[in-house]
Amino acid sequence: MEDVLTENPPPSRFFQEDLNNFTPSPEPPLPSPFIVFSNPKPELPLKPSLLIIALSSPSLHIFHSCLPSKTLIGTLIIPELPFSGNTVEPSLQDKSCNIYSLSDNNNKNSVLLVSVQLPVSPERSNLVSRLLIGQDIVPERVIILDSIQSRNFRGRLSPDEALTAKLETSSEKKAAATSRLNLDYFPSGSVIDGLSASLLSRCQLKNIRGTLVVSWPEFDPSVVRFVGGLLKSIVPGLDIKSVGKDLEMYSSRSGLKKDAWLDSDLYT
Amino acid sequence: MEFVVEEGKRVNEECSTLILPALSIGNVGQLAVDLLVSSTGADRVGYLDDPYLLPCVGNDAYGPLPCGEIALPLEVYESSSTATTLALQRSPVAKGMMIKFAENIADFAASSGKKHVIVLSSLDFQRLHHNLDMSRGPQVYYLSNAEANGRDDHCERLGFGRLNEYDSEGRCWKYLSSVFEENSKEELTFPAEDELEDIDYYPSLPFAALFSAFKARGLKVTCLLCYCSEGDNIPDAFLLAEAASKLTGLTPDKFHGEEGGKWQIPYSWKSMYGAPPDMSMF
Repeated sequence: MEDVLTENPPPSRFFQEDLNNFTPSPEPPLPSPFIVFSNPKPELPLKPSLLIIALSSPSLHIFHSCLPSKTLIGTLIIPELPFSGNTVEPSLQDKSCNIYSLSDNNNKNSVLLVSVQLPVSPERSNLVSRLLIGQDIVPERVIILDSIQSRNFRGRLSPDEALTAKLETSSEKKAAATSRLNLDYFPSGSVIDGLSASLLSRCQLKNIRGTLVVSWPEFDPSVVRFVGGLLKSIVPGLDIKSVGKDLEMYSSRSGLKKDAWLDSDLYT
Repeated sequence: MEFVVEEGKRVNEECSTLILPALSIGNVGQLAVDLLVSSTGADRVGYLDDPYLLPCVGNDAYGPLPCGEIALPLEVYESSSTATTLALQRSPVAKGMMIKFAENIADFAASSGKKHVIVLSSLDFQRLHHNLDMSRGPQVYYLSNAEANGRDDHCERLGFGRLNEYDSEGRCWKYLSSVFEENSKEELTFPAEDELEDIDYYPSLPFAALFSAFKARGLKVTCLLCYCSEGDNIPDAFLLAEAASKLTGLTPDKFHGEEGGKWQIPYSWKSMYGAPPDMSMF
């Protein structure tokens, strides 16, 4: 049983430093994140019709294993995060944030994918989301794929029961019903924080069609299948290899751990 | 800080009073503004985008059937019938950036023509060094820039207690003043965390930064405060919301609530303390 005297307070309450005007700010200030494109002279901003951003393990698995026709066009660099342990060819184990294009003969960059494989702190989320939406990339529509954070969820989450939900921007809600994702809304009273929240907020502020899809459990074969089906419904021509392969990696007991790429620092 | 007007909405320039929360123990200020938004039927007119605010999103917090209206970290509501703007803050400020955040929101208030700002905040009961007189029920305290010592006639008539711990010449209060005043000639050093004493508790709190920032911008500012502990802070939220409504001349019968002018509990409060216990264990 956890010790109620020493355990961390629940997330709706504050630490003393959160309520202190005289808590020092981080010194020295960190350099801003930036995007490096494969093309040294890209025509910026890129204006894809659709930007899909993967943060959850199931969506990252789909991006890497099941989308052979993607082309790496750039990478987002967060200066304080080291590259140690990353491979030359993009890998699911890398600490990276790569940007891919899905080939389309009519429009080279009509669909962009972002594979967020590094931990972006809440304090840095604002800068990262500005780069991906509204600065170097100005998409017409954004789909963000993340996992439900149990610490912020006010209902009951069962490890055996999959759950998916969405939040949308106002402009997405106004779009034709047939073009929107048919999912239940994330329940009121629970919140989503971090980078996915910052990305969706940016869409709302910029009046861009945006949907944040969250799923539970974090590592579950049914969620991987769901994400695969969702991507296929959003981009019908998407070449998704069989999603069913290697799904035993995603059982909660033996699956790929979320922090695998964080632990790799010990062995580089 | 950028103010983004919601699509299809217009800002009412007659709304000269701004009510906003300061981050504080038990989230009381935030709950109080939540309650005021819900009860006055205030309409969301826009969002404040600040680089120092941590991100969060959620579903509509007020409707009986949450309809998927996205909720952002800092939203601006207007109650035209009461000429009041309410800024609802849902997420914390990045560590160490409270002073910059206060400066940004004071800039917003000044540039949008606000005349009076009301800051709602709680204080930690465990920091109290004198006995509270509870004979007439919970007490609301105030701090105002109407007079140099923090006193305000209107607040006194309403029965609020002046925050006696306010000392404009105190080291930390002077530091806050010097930070926000453009022409300040004093160069005071940032107080180190390990040098802070008990008396520095009040100026260390977010409400003090907001108070000093609004004061420096020439706005009338009143902080409404109540002592509490962590726990079920809904009664404390009601206390501050009622005090704010008294101060602005609002009465519940002018509210827009469904029951003909009463306090309207936000829908999102139903799950504030998590899901009910799993009865299958019994």
